[in-house]
Amino acid sequence: MARTLTINNLTKKFGRITAVNNLSLSIEQGQIFGILGPNGSGKTTTLGMILDVVAPTSGDYHWFSNTSNEEARKKIGAILESPSFYPYLTAVQNLKITAHIKKCDPAPIDEVLKQVNLYERRNDKFKTYSLGMKQRLSIAAALLSNPPVLILDEPTNGLDPEGIAEVRDLIVNVARQGKTIIMASHLLDEVQKVCTHFCVLRHGKKIHEGKVKDTLEELNKVEVSADYDHEHLKNLMYDFPGTEALETVDNSLLITLKPGFTASEINSHCFAEGVVLKRLITHTNTLEKEFLKILKDHD
Amino acid sequence: MIDAIKLEWLKIKNYRVFWILLGMYLFALTVIASGGVFFLEWLKSQGADFNGIDPTIVPIYDFPDIWQNMTYLGSYAKIFLAFIVIISVNNDVTYNTLRQNIIDGISKKSYLLSKLMFIALLASISTLFLFINGLITGSIYSHVWESRFIFDELEFLFAYFLDIVVYCSLAFLLALVIKKAGFVIVLLFLYSMMFEPILSAILTNAPYFRDTFWSELVAFFPVQSLNNLITVPFGRYVFMEIQDYIPFKTLAIALGLLVIYLWSVISILKRRDLK
Repeated sequence: MARTLTINNLTKKFGRITAVNNLSLSIEQGQIFGILGPNGSGKTTTLGMILDVVAPTSGDYHWFSNTSNEEARKKIGAILESPSFYPYLTAVQNLKITAHIKKCDPAPIDEVLKQVNLYERRNDKFKTYSLGMKQRLSIAAALLSNPPVLILDEPTNGLDPEGIAEVRDLIVNVARQGKTIIMASHLLDEVQKVCTHFCVLRHGKKIHEGKVKDTLEELNKVEVSADYDHEHLKNLMYDFPGTEALETVDNSLLITLKPGFTASEINSHCFAEGVVLKRLITHTNTLEKEFLKILKDHD
Repeated sequence: MIDAIKLEWLKIKNYRVFWILLGMYLFALTVIASGGVFFLEWLKSQGADFNGIDPTIVPIYDFPDIWQNMTYLGSYAKIFLAFIVIISVNNDVTYNTLRQNIIDGISKKSYLLSKLMFIALLASISTLFLFINGLITGSIYSHVWESRFIFDELEFLFAYFLDIVVYCSLAFLLALVIKKAGFVIVLLFLYSMMFEPILSAILTNAPYFRDTFWSELVAFFPVQSLNNLITVPFGRYVFMEIQDYIPFKTLAIALGLLVIYLWSVISILKRRDLK
């Protein structure tokens, strides 16, 4: 796998406050990397440094291999918290500036504007847009050069539910094309839904790094219920070879599985015994619980 | 180079404020530089005379003197160009597009280069405009019309170009340091028209400072140093000795200031966190 970004001991101090403290990270091509952390943990400062708009106090970073930073930035689509465009120019005129800086073909401008639903308003000035439209224009700008890397900072901040769903779909679509995505967020649900890898920052320090999948698979609980006598179902589950522990929660049973067993095996076991399950829910660990645990461990 | 100028072109091409200011500037430049005859007519109507000479026969538009006269007068209009530069830089700061430009993939040096090219373009337009204006005005009023006179003393056009570039670079620096466009415009105007001239006058003339180290400093002041490139030429019409050339020392000071301004800009850009 090709290395997309390497960060070595990056530190940023604002006066006496250390916003980012000796951060090292490496991100491989194709990863969807989530940077998690409470507000003020240094996520945006980190993104600012790797985009050369915040000057690091010490440490360094490099993109791809042997690429100058400004050449690398031409290959990165960035969507940061506040969309920045010339208010007196139209969407098309603004995107022409983006294409010029990125040295990419301006031909797909119409296409990307259609993609983010701004085509009808393409010749209106940016200052007449609503916040949602402004954010969609920054998505269009990020997609214009068809970049191999996308950076998102709180991508769903300030969007309505529809907009949030659109951005999430977009991230998943882009990820399917094998692109690398780096996103900062304090919304754990968001990261859990789309990311493959994540790290947790706190007071500018990296306190955890790992795969989202590994973190979520630690728990293996299945909740079942059926329109049968509860005791009957309970006995049935006692007989199931994969049951490690059993407890009753409201009207259903919560089964902890032994390693290697899955929910579908419970289903076929019950079905073979003539019991049709009404509910079968696999409980996974949530990133939220894990995140709170990580933070607590570092208190 | 071409990329740098094209970036600025895309920013201003559809910016109405820019075209209005540029139009006003070129109009003002024409009035100031070529309207001298009307001014002399007005002086005459007010009953003025220069040691018994009728003001209207003063040959201010004769080649080659016209070049020093026009560039001297035209230099007063450069503050309009500085306003254009201030607004252009301030837009990038307040709309956060400076940050966006950098994120999109230009270096801070390229940003400096693109603004410098913008300034050079404004200076070139002014110089060319003044040159054509001079040819037209000269063709109307000049008593001589021979190419050896017409194309003599063109170094004043070069000095005029440099004058604008250095002054606008100062405006660029100020607009980057002070983020409020209105404030920078008022400050630059008051400084250029009042603060520095008053200070210069005190240092040069007050008995306490006269002929001391302090009066020497005046030549290095941001406005005075540029004014020294093209000094008041009209003394020649009352038989006074004037500086009808560009001294090397003045040129060196102006270039030195330009280097200081640009160096300050790049070090601010490098150190500043854009948020």
